[in-house]
Amino acid sequence: MAVEIVMPRFGWTMEEGLLAEWTKKDGEAVAVGEVLFTVESDKALNEVESFETGVLRIPPGSPPPGSVVKVGALLAYIVQPGEAAPFEAEAAVSLAVAVQGREQAEAAHPAKPPARSVEPVGKRAISPRARRVAAELGVDFTQLGGSGHTGRIIERDIRAASAKRPAPAEVRASPLARRAAAELGVNLEHLAASRPGRRLERADVEAAAQAATQAPSMADRPSLPITAARRVIAERMMAGAHTTAPVTLTTEVDATELVRLRAQLKNDPAAAAQPIPSYTDLMAKLVAHALGEHPALNAGLEGAAGGPVHIGLAVDTERGLLVPVLRDVATKGVRQIAQAAAALIARARAGQLTADEMRGSTFTLTNLGMYEIDAFTPIINLPECAILGLGRIVAKQVVVDAAAERVAIRQMMFVSLTFDHRRIDGAPAARGLQRIKQLIEQPYLWLVT
Amino acid sequence: MREMTFVEATREALAAAMEIDPTIFVMGEGIGVRGGNFMTTLGLYEKFGPERLRDTPISERGFVGLCTGAAMAGARPVVDFMFVDFILDAMGELINQMAKVQYMTSGRLKLPMILRGAIGIGNSAATHHSGSYYPTFVNVPGFRVVVPSTPHDAKGLFATALEGDDPVFFLEHKALLYSKGPVPEEHYTIPFGQARIAQAGRDVTVVALSVMVKKTLEAAEALAAEGLSVEVIDPRTLAPLDMPAILQSVHKTGRLLIVDEWFGPCGIGAEIAAQVMDQAFDDLDAPVRRLNGAHTPTPYSPPLEAALIPNVAAIAQAIRDLAAE
Repeated sequence: MAVEIVMPRFGWTMEEGLLAEWTKKDGEAVAVGEVLFTVESDKALNEVESFETGVLRIPPGSPPPGSVVKVGALLAYIVQPGEAAPFEAEAAVSLAVAVQGREQAEAAHPAKPPARSVEPVGKRAISPRARRVAAELGVDFTQLGGSGHTGRIIERDIRAASAKRPAPAEVRASPLARRAAAELGVNLEHLAASRPGRRLERADVEAAAQAATQAPSMADRPSLPITAARRVIAERMMAGAHTTAPVTLTTEVDATELVRLRAQLKNDPAAAAQPIPSYTDLMAKLVAHALGEHPALNAGLEGAAGGPVHIGLAVDTERGLLVPVLRDVATKGVRQIAQAAAALIARARAGQLTADEMRGSTFTLTNLGMYEIDAFTPIINLPECAILGLGRIVAKQVVVDAAAERVAIRQMMFVSLTFDHRRIDGAPAARGLQRIKQLIEQPYLWLVT
Repeated sequence: MREMTFVEATREALAAAMEIDPTIFVMGEGIGVRGGNFMTTLGLYEKFGPERLRDTPISERGFVGLCTGAAMAGARPVVDFMFVDFILDAMGELINQMAKVQYMTSGRLKLPMILRGAIGIGNSAATHHSGSYYPTFVNVPGFRVVVPSTPHDAKGLFATALEGDDPVFFLEHKALLYSKGPVPEEHYTIPFGQARIAQAGRDVTVVALSVMVKKTLEAAEALAAEGLSVEVIDPRTLAPLDMPAILQSVHKTGRLLIVDEWFGPCGIGAEIAAQVMDQAFDDLDAPVRRLNGAHTPTPYSPPLEAALIPNVAAIAQAIRDLAAE
């Protein structure tokens, strides 16, 4: 009995996933628990394991790796050794009855319609043969006229359209021009197209090379495809920016003590083998402390404020922004947090985060200080109700005693709290930010529990 | 190669087989001394005598039943109907007995039999003498149906029919009986279910039955001058039918016309069209078309009779219309 393998649903809102790759091949033996394929959904890479033992059979029409597939769509079968896969059994049946007539066969084994993409042509009809030839030649027939009797697009229309596509034209250029083009990396066909009817000289090629270094043409730039990850980020940001009532509060904090703390942690010989807690790690710890006192700023999926603090860390990766989650930060020590964070960030950069690791945060931290950003307006990571953005730490001249007119050089940092004014008012939010400021300036308060 | 008529070719095959196989005998009206209304057995009575060339009264049900029994008992009868229309009196014997005996005896009994008769419209043969009826026989499981169009094919197919174990309808169009063509002297057989590509082409496939093959070839010649390349297929046998040859041709041309003198409704063309639509949908550049004789009893009046049947001009126009689809 063949078991169907379909695109699974990871997460409530998932409707389609990107089939990344098959880790088992067609015809390969599979045991319970072994990974069959991986799926890129939301921003995570998910491994799909087998719940059967048998042989994996991938039908010829199965979506190829790299394609986006609807949740529930059939991808493969697991059969028992020696058992024919459903797509093979159907083929055998149709061959046998071709001689005798298909009626009985159709009743017993209703043929699955082949997995063919349906292209709506609009009002203009197209013959099946023309449709097939269009697919073979890669002709887009949606804008084509039809010369068939009823205005139908027929084979010769497709072939005519295919023939009209510009074939690589013979470029007229002098031998010197050709050599210069090869040396300077100038595309002669493009150049010839912009100078129709003219024989290209070396001067033309050199001028083109000169222009190319100054202004790269838009036409040459490869367009970047929108990945599934980008799509999700886009949706999340839209929701965060437009369904909340976002207000950003900014305050400049004296981070000198924090800087000193980190230096001590960094120089501790006993902890040389461990990851050095970053400013973000330290901020996570003290923010968790502050959220314990200001629970209204700490909210997860259930919406209720308070409860354990799970802090999402905004991480920049090649594939885009990912937000792995540090769990139960309030109960962990700084070193523990540093290790957990380092592991999460490494996995994020390697594209190995699971969906679970990116779920369940109640507050998010985002740090752009390393890019010399002072302050910014972070977007709330729904369903949370607040997010803290960290700017760079800069040595500045500040007034330390106004009465005595005394200044000093202190390490100053801007922190920006965006909160959802639907759920929290300005004053409570400000009080929370003020407390965070205090904890940055006086680290002993949260180091000692 | 020597030329002979369609009828002479089948006679040659029959005579040769009767010399070797003593179980072959012929039954029918006027096939003995007279040598057959259409000369199908001319000269055989003198060779093989009254035992093997048996004249019958006008009682088709009777002698068809008789021959069925003889075949079941191990003989190899050839029933010569003269006009195939006369077979209708024997439908009960044909469909309920002859077609089903092998099935009902699990193959213990064979039914080697030829049912031959002249088919087709022409010469004011009129309402009771112009039938073809082959869709009926093709539709009933248990029969072979052979419709040759040339003397060469007639001899080879007749020889094959005489060697098989099944009842074979050998249907010879009246207009073809005296047509001449090259026929090899030696014994040869043509397997059932093997079509003949009468002419290769690129633009349109035409499947033509019996007398329509010649007319279609004439039409194709006229169209070649107009720049249209027509592929003409003669299926030769309708049961079994060489669908792979037709499908291969449709794959090449994308357009199919079936030309058949007999009626359209539930005809051979309808069956071919349905199978092609099913198995070669993506090869079709235009709908499958059929050109048939008018669905009416055949008139006696010569001009009316001529108006009924697809002629060369009508076939050419049908091909032109299909090419323009």
